[in-house]
Amino acid sequence: MLGKLLKYEIKSTARIFIPLYALLLVFALLNKFLNPFEVMESSVRFNFQSVFQALTASAYFILIVAIFVMTLFIAIQRFYKNLLGDEGYLMFTLPVKTRQNIASKLLIAVMWYILSAVAVITSIAIMVGPREFFEFLQSMIELLKDGLGVASLIILPLFILIQLIHGTLMIYDAMSLGHLFGKQKLLASFGMYAALYFITQIILTIVILSVGSTMFTSFIHSAGPTDVQILSFLGMLGIVAALLSVVHFAITNYILKNKLNLE
Amino acid sequence: MSNLLECKNLTKSFGSLNALNNVNLSIDKGRIIGLLGPNASGKTTFIKLCNNLLTPTSGKIRIGGYEPGIETKKIISYLPEKNYLNDWMRVSQLIQFFQDFYEDFNRDKAYDMLNKLGLDSKDRLKTMSKGTKEKVQLILTMSREAQLYLLDEPIGGVDPAARDYILDTIIRNYNEDSTVIISTHLIADIEKILDDVIFLKEGQIVLTKTVDEIREESGKSVDSLFREVFKC
Repeated sequence: MLGKLLKYEIKSTARIFIPLYALLLVFALLNKFLNPFEVMESSVRFNFQSVFQALTASAYFILIVAIFVMTLFIAIQRFYKNLLGDEGYLMFTLPVKTRQNIASKLLIAVMWYILSAVAVITSIAIMVGPREFFEFLQSMIELLKDGLGVASLIILPLFILIQLIHGTLMIYDAMSLGHLFGKQKLLASFGMYAALYFITQIILTIVILSVGSTMFTSFIHSAGPTDVQILSFLGMLGIVAALLSVVHFAITNYILKNKLNLE
Repeated sequence: MSNLLECKNLTKSFGSLNALNNVNLSIDKGRIIGLLGPNASGKTTFIKLCNNLLTPTSGKIRIGGYEPGIETKKIISYLPEKNYLNDWMRVSQLIQFFQDFYEDFNRDKAYDMLNKLGLDSKDRLKTMSKGTKEKVQLILTMSREAQLYLLDEPIGGVDPAARDYILDTIIRNYNEDSTVIISTHLIADIEKILDDVIFLKEGQIVLTKTVDEIREESGKSVDSLFREVFKC
């Protein structure tokens, strides 16, 4: 059943993201052929062409912002509207487990985070040219390898992924807690998010001060942190985020299963 | 257990308010039952509890031998009083959705009813009027071959002509093994199809009788009995 939920979750969201990505790539191509960035640097003349070029360049940047905003907005809206809104009457009477409903929302949200990043990176690759782009990519990888070691190539993406999952589940948790309020559920959700954020900061501070104290003393004594120290610090933050993710998922699941009260 | 639906001391409170108060009920297979009561008498709360959309404060419900959960969702076909379908899908896509998730969904039945009501399966819900949306929702609900149909205000938003067709549809699509519970306050319209009635008042059952008993004992229609019991 999770597979079917995922299928419909993709269908419901792809109709928004695919056109956005397509538009972004079209403007990346336009920018490549009109090459407005070069003009902006070198041209002192004002003419119709330069206006058009400035427009396609601005449209491109607006699209990038739009994609990032929409990726976050859709992640929130799918949970709030499809599960906690009227559509919840359908989703919660399907013969599926509550946790499958939550998991389908989370997995597809994370999928779009990744695809949005891929779309933006691809658009940059189109504009600068594939050869130059891969050279740049290689130099970035070399830089990471030299600075933080080979392990960072796995740990860094994993760290980002866990943070994305954690951030999303914290929003779900906040909305579920907000749903417990009889009135002003949306306002309560924002309040709950602020509260969860505050609690997370306290937990992080405690963890860093207790577990991390040995690390910090070694930072002070040596000239700078070694790559192993930095990666294990990231690893520790990652583990905390993973544990908090489990807690957020469990609270969300408990509320939707036992305390659901659709309007 | 032979009864399809059984409640024992079922109570649901919201804060200090008892929406349902100590309800005991058993419902057989093969009945069409009117769940009748004024506004805020607990009708929707009862139906939501059966659908696992609310959790009882105390007491138990069993449907087909199960407590509300995945097993009961497989055998209950539920029509909420809300527009609960997303509005960007075409009717044909919604039919596919129902077929994917419900094993008992009968696609041919759905298309047949759409044709009879003159609805186009290529239309999106977004473009439909409120009444047409309700018809689509009812068609989807009644196209399942479920054991229990829970219909919350199924005829509130549609015109009288469509009302007759819908009631007809309900009678034709349920079989002797399944039970239909209809919650409404439009009693006169549905009276002729009911076998039993349950009167709810302030979260409590005040009367459960068959329609025949009501007619024999009091010589009144359900509608006039309702007006008497719930006189303001």
